[in-house]
Amino acid sequence: MPRKLQIELFLLDNLIWVLLACFFLLNALITPMFATYGNLVNILYHSAIMSMLVLGQGLILVSGHLDLSLESTLVFAPGVAMLLATRWLPFQLDPVTTIILTLAIGALVGLFNGVCIAKIGVNPFLQTLSLMIILRGLVLFLVPLSIFPLDKVYTFAGQARMIGNIPVAVPIVFIIFLFFHFIMQYTAFGRHFVATGGNARASYISGINTGRMVIYAFVIAGFLAAVAGLLAAGRQDSVSNTMGEGMVMLAFAGAILGGASLEGGKGTPLGMLGGALLLGMISNSLNLLGVGVTLVYATQGALIFVAIVLDRIRIKRRNYLLHREQVRRLLIQEQGG
Amino acid sequence: MGHQDGDAPPEANPDDTALKLQGISKIYPGTVALHKVNINVKKGEVHGIIGKNGAGKSTLVEIIAGITTPTAGKIFIGGEGYDSLSRIDARRKKIAIVPQEPQLILDFTVAENLFISDYTRWGWLINWQGLYTRAEEIVKKANLHINVRVRAGDLSVSEQQLLLVLKACYVEQSDIIILDEASASLAQRDEELLYRIIRERKGGGCTILFISHRAEELLKVCDRVTVLRDGHSISTKNCRELDRDKLSDLIVGEKFCRHIKVDQGQLKKDLGETVLAVENLTRLGVYQEISFQLKKGEILGLAGLRGSGRTEIFRGIVGIDHPDEGTIFVNGQRRCYRSPAAALGDGIVYLPEDREREGLISNLSVRENLMLNALDTVKRGLLLNRSKESRAVADLIKELDIKVASPEQEVNQLSGGNKQKVVVGKIAAAGPQIFLLDEPTRGVDISAKQGILNIVRNSLCREAGIVITSPGLEDLINICDRILVLHRGRITGEFLRGNLRESDLFSAVQGGAQEKCPGLVASYVS
Ligand SMILES: Nc1ncnc2c1ncn2[C@@H]1O[C@H](COP(=O)(O)OP(=O)(O)OP(=O)(O)O)[C@@H](O)[C@H]1O
Ligand SMILES: [Mg+2]
Repeated sequence: MPRKLQIELFLLDNLIWVLLACFFLLNALITPMFATYGNLVNILYHSAIMSMLVLGQGLILVSGHLDLSLESTLVFAPGVAMLLATRWLPFQLDPVTTIILTLAIGALVGLFNGVCIAKIGVNPFLQTLSLMIILRGLVLFLVPLSIFPLDKVYTFAGQARMIGNIPVAVPIVFIIFLFFHFIMQYTAFGRHFVATGGNARASYISGINTGRMVIYAFVIAGFLAAVAGLLAAGRQDSVSNTMGEGMVMLAFAGAILGGASLEGGKGTPLGMLGGALLLGMISNSLNLLGVGVTLVYATQGALIFVAIVLDRIRIKRRNYLLHREQVRRLLIQEQGG
Repeated sequence: MGHQDGDAPPEANPDDTALKLQGISKIYPGTVALHKVNINVKKGEVHGIIGKNGAGKSTLVEIIAGITTPTAGKIFIGGEGYDSLSRIDARRKKIAIVPQEPQLILDFTVAENLFISDYTRWGWLINWQGLYTRAEEIVKKANLHINVRVRAGDLSVSEQQLLLVLKACYVEQSDIIILDEASASLAQRDEELLYRIIRERKGGGCTILFISHRAEELLKVCDRVTVLRDGHSISTKNCRELDRDKLSDLIVGEKFCRHIKVDQGQLKKDLGETVLAVENLTRLGVYQEISFQLKKGEILGLAGLRGSGRTEIFRGIVGIDHPDEGTIFVNGQRRCYRSPAAALGDGIVYLPEDREREGLISNLSVRENLMLNALDTVKRGLLLNRSKESRAVADLIKELDIKVASPEQEVNQLSGGNKQKVVVGKIAAAGPQIFLLDEPTRGVDISAKQGILNIVRNSLCREAGIVITSPGLEDLINICDRILVLHRGRITGEFLRGNLRESDLFSAVQGGAQEKCPGLVASYVS
């Protein structure tokens, strides 16, 4: 294979990082204050919460399903955990237990979704749509405004900074992405997980417990949504009932930009990280350019569209390149033989 | 029902039995797929399961493999009885299956597809290098030439099927191997590989359950066969005492008429004008310089091994994969289609080889699928005329003998062969002027095959020209007016009806013609 083709294929397979680099360079040139250390750290910090949802949604897409309820889980998990810790129980819970409780509630919500979908056979769209509404409604009922202030330990992950003024949220998020990337690529569990999304029946016949894989997918996503909730609560030092509203659609955009597909079996966690960073970078640069909040939202919407179109173009281009290479090889063969 | 009137010797030694089914029934809503089936499979034998489409063969083996749960009955494996098995239980009992519809994860590599359930590991990590090495060993052992690092989706249909056979036979190290119509989509060359693998595994002490619709193959491969008819197990016979005719009678259940009612050997004289002319069609690396003409009323066969470019030429004509060069004339006008829909607009219908993915909309009903291309014919103004539609559907179902509980049944609940009949019925309903039929008889039982061929020969071609391919040359010889031989993407010969010997055709298809006069179109027309 000629070098040029190899490079082109490599770039196509890692399109998200190419886009990210292009967008970065463009902004470094035209947007004032963009390429400063402070702003870059800021982008990472602001992407952290969204990136957890993108990863959760992305992993569910890989397993061949979708989850709309993630944005409600994001607020439900810390909300209920805080209420339990401070009001409902006769004794106060210590903050570490509250954190564990938060994550456990997220995972439990996921477990509920997963069991309904994998065992009862409920349609995932309808299941998670209803849960999205139920959980948001419950939070609006239980938390009329917001719960604050929160314990320092509880807000540590979302608020604290370490050397170089880097928020601890950033390394936490990176470690989580690397962890899942590793799991998906190098463990049998990960490959079974991806296989289930790629072709559920084939996987089932191969002896993979596909139902269980789907449940795991939802549990992991619920857990990640709870992590996002923990970070969000930490950042604003409160649990407010509107946290996460409208984020799930952007999570789809990020995951699809990062290489996931609605058909399942496609995409890697690192690609999804790229997708989340691109989302963060775009809203950051629009802010710096002084574009209004509502227009930022519209732009992000347009981005979902662009993501889908780009993905199609990418696949077409890839097939075209491979076909051309085959033809070229044949011609050489004919000349040679 | 279910008595064994074969001469299976009375069980002298119970250890001899690998698998025993007792009174297995399976009831689907609206269908009794299996009714109190009894089967006894001996250790180390190749046991054939035969029967018409919808007889319940696939359902039976899926129950054994733990994919479907039986409604009643007991399964005995190595002496232990079970009411039902899960797939994971069945794997633990060392039962492997190659299901009727190939099941692969198309985005995974060949190697990964082979080892999907048992990765080579270091602790809980996957050893990718070891995975590739082991996959290469297995592929080499089977004498197959495929790169284990390519995507499974990039393999040909035949190679995909063999891959699944390899997985069942060598990777899973099973004692009982089930092959459900594994040979239906194999290229001739690969068939030999399959038979070798089966012999080798049998030598290694495995028990094999083999489902097929091809009589010669069954007689060649199997030790015993069990006949299923309408969900009942009729009998088990020793293959040594059977021949083709006896086998056919067993399957169909009555004296079976093996001849197509056509004017055998006569050339049709009253062919109409040319409806389709293809000139110099080329898609690099796939087919080259394909030229032929098709007249109205003519049946033109494309004979060639799998992979010789038959499917690809069809796909080129209807605009799924564009040819690099060449022109297509329809009714004398130059055409270049961008999609099958455009081709359909000119009255060209294409029956795809891959019925699951390209031929059917599986969650629609039989009625909706049948009428999909033909809605124009039952339209009244903007609305559909439902009673006319129902009548047309009922006619098609009867004509093709499709086994359905009702026309409203979902297509994905039908048996494999009945799905194929729906595909044929669907395109026949449209009443087009050119048919491109890619293996319309694949996977259908002998009586339905005769039915489909009869329809092609006696009614479809009255108003249209037909290009057809088939897995067996015999079918082509029976119905075609003219046969073109394809070898490695080129037309290497032409045979006219009434003027051909099967052996000539056979050697031409295998590439014989090309060796004699390379580069030239050999002509067998006298
Ligand atoms: N999921 C399902 N729901 C309802 N009916 C079904 C379902 N699956 C199979 N059937 C019915 O059960 C019967 C037996 O089907 P099966 O697939 O076992 O046939 P088969 O012998 O394998 O036929 P073929 O040779 O065509 O593959 C058919 O009448 C079919 O319509
Ligand atoms: Mg079948």
